[in-house]
Amino acid sequence: MKSFEYTITDPVGIHARPAGILVKEIKKYASTVTVAKGEKSVNALKLMALMGMGIKQGDTVKVTIEGADEDTAAAAIEEFFKANL
Amino acid sequence: MALDYRKCAEQIAANIGGGANVISAAHCATRLRLVIADNSKVNKEALENVDGVKGMFESNGQLQLIIGTGTVNKVYDEFLSVTGASAASKDDVKAAAASKMPWWKKILKTPGDVFVPILPAIVASGLMMGLVEAIPKFWPAFGQSDWFAFLDLVANTAFALLPVLVAISSARVFGGNVFLGAVIGLMMVHPALINAWTVGNYAAGEIPTWHLFFFNVQQVGYQGHVIPVILAVLLMSTVEKWLHKKVPEMIDLFVTPLVTVLVTSFITFTVIGPIFSILENWVLDGAKWLASSLPGAVVMGAVYPWTVVMGLHHMYNVIEAGMIAQTGLNTWMPIASAANFAQFGACLAVALKVHNQKTKSVALPSSLSASLGITEPAIFGINFRFMKPFLCGMAGGAVGSLFGALFKLGAPVYGVTGIPAIPAVNNVPLYLVELLISAGVAFGLVWIIWREDEPKKAVAAAPAAPAIEVPTVSVIRCTAGQVLQPVKGAVIAREDIPDDTFASGVLGDGVGIQPSDDKVVAPFDGTISSVAESHHAVGIEANGMEMLIHVGVDTVNMQGDGFTCLVKEGDAVKAGQPLIIFDRAKIKAAGYSDTVAVLLTNSDDLEGVECGAK
Repeated sequence: MKSFEYTITDPVGIHARPAGILVKEIKKYASTVTVAKGEKSVNALKLMALMGMGIKQGDTVKVTIEGADEDTAAAAIEEFFKANL
Repeated sequence: MALDYRKCAEQIAANIGGGANVISAAHCATRLRLVIADNSKVNKEALENVDGVKGMFESNGQLQLIIGTGTVNKVYDEFLSVTGASAASKDDVKAAAASKMPWWKKILKTPGDVFVPILPAIVASGLMMGLVEAIPKFWPAFGQSDWFAFLDLVANTAFALLPVLVAISSARVFGGNVFLGAVIGLMMVHPALINAWTVGNYAAGEIPTWHLFFFNVQQVGYQGHVIPVILAVLLMSTVEKWLHKKVPEMIDLFVTPLVTVLVTSFITFTVIGPIFSILENWVLDGAKWLASSLPGAVVMGAVYPWTVVMGLHHMYNVIEAGMIAQTGLNTWMPIASAANFAQFGACLAVALKVHNQKTKSVALPSSLSASLGITEPAIFGINFRFMKPFLCGMAGGAVGSLFGALFKLGAPVYGVTGIPAIPAVNNVPLYLVELLISAGVAFGLVWIIWREDEPKKAVAAAPAAPAIEVPTVSVIRCTAGQVLQPVKGAVIAREDIPDDTFASGVLGDGVGIQPSDDKVVAPFDGTISSVAESHHAVGIEANGMEMLIHVGVDTVNMQGDGFTCLVKEGDAVKAGQPLIIFDRAKIKAAGYSDTVAVLLTNSDDLEGVECGAK
């Protein structure tokens, strides 16, 4: 299991569009990815759940990647967060 | 005529689209005040025929049902238990309604909010003053007695220090600290200042003056003013709230009140006070002219009930309180009295003439209440509904006002009219004549002109209207179910949505809709899975389908302005139930497309997904 923390810089937070491209990215990997903010955590493949978290700019989220390709996935997803969120 | 409160409440609920359609509920002395999510579900015809409902109207964004004094609270309790709506204070309802209100109406509403709570003090003082001053007229010795002096002091306290009451009430309305508001009001009538009523005894050069920066502030109090007080407290509340946000919590407790009072008092005495006391004098002079000039009185007497219908009559409180504070005599009041008493006359005529038992049973008590100055039941329950009696009432009001202006009637009180005002008026016999004329003209006209309609089409129109308008067109179909069109308008292909993310299908397959309506309704029975913080998008799921309805493109940047979301996460919704109300004009004004994206976000996991209107 791999995990990293990231503070959102996108001014609108994880809203529809960013959430959509995040889901698309995560679908490339076999690993299960969860995004947690505080107590709440969701499967990052579930777009509606992800949006329902109401993640805003400045929020710190913990992203956990677990599965066969977790090493490559974790690195790529972290890169993705930095580049897009 | 004992009313079945439960049944009444149930019928009301049934005719407004059920509890789910109620944003908030409250009641006042006579009315059940509801803010309704979707007004199209309200069956007005049926509501009026509910036993116990004397009338209904929409005003200020509220649906108001007239039930009656002493009854409305019981119906209200039952209504809460029937609908499961939570009790809202009147303030909540007002706030909910206020958000639906245009800005100018908000401004017009403020004076009423400020002056109505003070009414008990004004009524007590005004009536006592009327009595105390009437007695010496037929018993001169009383005027020299200690009792007179004592009662006179008691009676004029509220008027002499009116700015204090106004300031406290204003602080409550504007959300400032009530005690700081009191300080501002007290300061404006501080005994160390020259009393505004006796300042005339000073020659111009004798009035002591402070030199503060480049302001010369005359040391004169604000007795007899109300508008500068309201504005001073508005400023105070604004400053206070702003400071609460900015000042670190540790020192907030002492810094905020200190700075608030300092800043407010300085600006009040240098700018607000001097400017607005002059403006207020102009307004009062204008009103006095209107009330005393014969054409002015006629017009106001006729127009007055319209302003009641629009809820603007509380505005007059400023004028009336100002007049009392300035001269001790409210010459506006005879106009209100004539107008109100004419509505009584009109309503009484209807009560005596009508054959319909239900109308009669409403009209009689309503007219009684109107004679005591509470005209809403008569106006909304009877006169305005049949319209002709209302117009006759206007005529009666005009004639009565004319008489009042001719004989310069007045009273040291506001908020009371009709019979209860008798002890307060400056000339009781003439006042009685005024009332008689107003009611008489209205009664006579109604008696001659108005005819009861044949039993209306009401019965035919009664069958239950559909509670929810369920869309008939489906826009997406798959094995798990179908998605009905959630917004009225032209359906376009997903690829044509003017946004790459939606168009590309990253967020799932679906369609776009170019809205011709401002309402998003549920596309199927389901559960709300998410609501965007800025209220422009909503997620809903059912039977494995996860749906995103996103109003407009980039509208997240509007941060909720122009969007009202009627549901919250976890709510169960029915197909056709309204979810979001949006303001297309605002979206356009913000420069965004208002195309609504309707997407099955998990379309990859569903089978047989087919998009397009059908």
